[in-house]
Amino acid sequence: MFDNLALLGQAFAGFATPSTLFIVFWATLLGIVVGALPGLTATMGVALMTTLTYTMAPNSAILVLICVYVGAIYGGSRSAILLNIPGTPASACSTLDGFPLARQGMAGRAMGISTAGSWLGTLFGTLCVAIFTPTLGEISLSFGSYEFFWVAVFGIVIAGSLSGGDALKGYIAGFLGLFVATIGQETVHAYPRFAFGTVDLAGGIGLLPALVGAFGVAEVLHVMSGPAFKAVASKIDSVIPRIADVLQYWRTILRSGGIGTFIGVLPGLGEDTAAWTSYAAARRASKEKEKYGKGSVEGLMAAETGESACVPGAIIPVLTLAVPGSAPAAVLLAAMLIHNVNPGPMLMVTQPEFVYQIVAMLVLADMMKLFFGLTLVRPLLWILLVPRERLMPIVFVLCTVGAFAITSRVFDIYVMLAFGMIGFGMRLLNFPMAPLILGLVLGDLLDKNLLRGLSLTGGDPTPFFTRPISAGLALLTLFAILWSVPGLQRRVVGLFRRRPAPAG
Amino acid sequence: MTDAAEPTPMDHVRPEPAPRTDLVTGVVILAFGLAVMRMAWAMPTFTDRGGDPFTAPGIVPGFYGLVLALLGIVLAARSVLRGALRPGGGASGGGAFAYSRVSRLAAAVVVCFGYAIGLIGTLPFWLATATFVTAFVLLFEWQDETTPRRLRRIATALALGLATGLAVSLVFERLFLVRLP
Repeated sequence: MFDNLALLGQAFAGFATPSTLFIVFWATLLGIVVGALPGLTATMGVALMTTLTYTMAPNSAILVLICVYVGAIYGGSRSAILLNIPGTPASACSTLDGFPLARQGMAGRAMGISTAGSWLGTLFGTLCVAIFTPTLGEISLSFGSYEFFWVAVFGIVIAGSLSGGDALKGYIAGFLGLFVATIGQETVHAYPRFAFGTVDLAGGIGLLPALVGAFGVAEVLHVMSGPAFKAVASKIDSVIPRIADVLQYWRTILRSGGIGTFIGVLPGLGEDTAAWTSYAAARRASKEKEKYGKGSVEGLMAAETGESACVPGAIIPVLTLAVPGSAPAAVLLAAMLIHNVNPGPMLMVTQPEFVYQIVAMLVLADMMKLFFGLTLVRPLLWILLVPRERLMPIVFVLCTVGAFAITSRVFDIYVMLAFGMIGFGMRLLNFPMAPLILGLVLGDLLDKNLLRGLSLTGGDPTPFFTRPISAGLALLTLFAILWSVPGLQRRVVGLFRRRPAPAG
Repeated sequence: MTDAAEPTPMDHVRPEPAPRTDLVTGVVILAFGLAVMRMAWAMPTFTDRGGDPFTAPGIVPGFYGLVLALLGIVLAARSVLRGALRPGGGASGGGAFAYSRVSRLAAAVVVCFGYAIGLIGTLPFWLATATFVTAFVLLFEWQDETTPRRLRRIATALALGLATGLAVSLVFERLFLVRLP
């Protein structure tokens, strides 16, 4: 226990340098701006910055990414409140009560609630990272190939089932991602799969160029083909959070923090699900249900706390299992691998200090977010007024530079363009994108562990179903699939619900 | 979530595509899954070199191909149940892709691809970027303006293009030490 506290202290002391604090300053600001601008998402921001910070020292690069991630999830609520357009998909829930509050002339109060909720949410989640990661890390040490196979499958299935929209299309997106991860040389025989004789394809599809394409380029095309939005410049009251708002809804904050962190820990479910779930739970428990959707302070607080608590939550499985809890966390995982930090069960054994450095980074980013939340009001409004015709070409240039940066292959630019078109098409056909990324990231884990498990037993698949943790994960996966079958869910819920008295 | 008034994530998701679109998508996914299975089947197993048959490169992609094919069938079947083959099954649930959107999309694709494939590598990076940004801004802002204001537009677009080209080159090459295309 004291060892851990000492490690945490060391982590904070290590970051107390002017250059680190300067990184926290600009990266969090960049994150907030990326989040606030509709069309630039947290995933895209983290993916782009991963490529652009490639040459920085590992700790500085990961600090940048965490600050961008924390900032972007918060920044999204600004446009949700002021424009009724979620700046990132995670803030969609905040439009429900944030925008009505702004229309009632309380835009500043709404932003204050968002700042307080988001700040407390991330703090709550970070506390959970510090407390639970070492314990979960120990449990994950007992995971073998069979368990990792199921963790990967469970991640894809649950991301497909719950990432919003059509579960069937979610599964298809997940398996497409898994398929793309198989392209290139495999690890056992170095046989180039689906390379068609080209050296570039034999090298595999780079994860980051694909992500920059699927999020950056697809987003540019999506924004440019969509209708223009008009920014509203409204008069803004004080953005200082009211103590009364926080004290009155402390139960909501704790509940949403818990829900948000838990959703974050589940593989593949992101901030948007966290916000919606916290919102629904707060509404169910609320004494003032009728205000929800019409400018409820409690509703906005729940959504903001939930989505921001999800950020640290999503990092917990990255550190303990090397399985991402959300789409931006998937990119963060990829970034850690690029910088030779190997997250997973062995992390607490080989680099226990890294976990506490992450905790320190989250706290620093959260504090900086609070600072900007209280001070940065007008400039953010101006940024929201930048027309998309001028912003999008710059974003595209950054995507191109980013895709090229890691391996300096022109092929990566083509990968980015191809994934941009695929991502755009999939979005048009209502395929969710989170399972696709999860598939891309988990492909390697699934591939290796399935083959390893099978060759360990000489082709006998029974340990995949009989080892206790494996069996539990298999059952959970089955449950997640059945839950998404239309009709089945209602019937099961119906069994447990009291039947209404027959009419007439 | 039985309360009808309760908001769900679906509120912010675009309308469902037409059942017929889903049918086509399902068939394409099925064909893709089958093609992947076929290619996976054709991969060598390395058993002749004493390799473990369970490490054959085709097993995992073959499994994915199978799952994709099955999911394609389910998607196609579901779209038929939702009326893909009935008259009117091609009509979208709303939010049809209007002509103006297609033309904007086409313009964006042409300029972006032209930059990434054509300009980069043939021109120095800063010049390619400046040309691209200027062209992009002008293309999308041109029709909104009257003639006298267009001169100002051209000047703004040029300035933005040059600023972007130079700033991106300087910041990434000098500060972040990233290699530019």
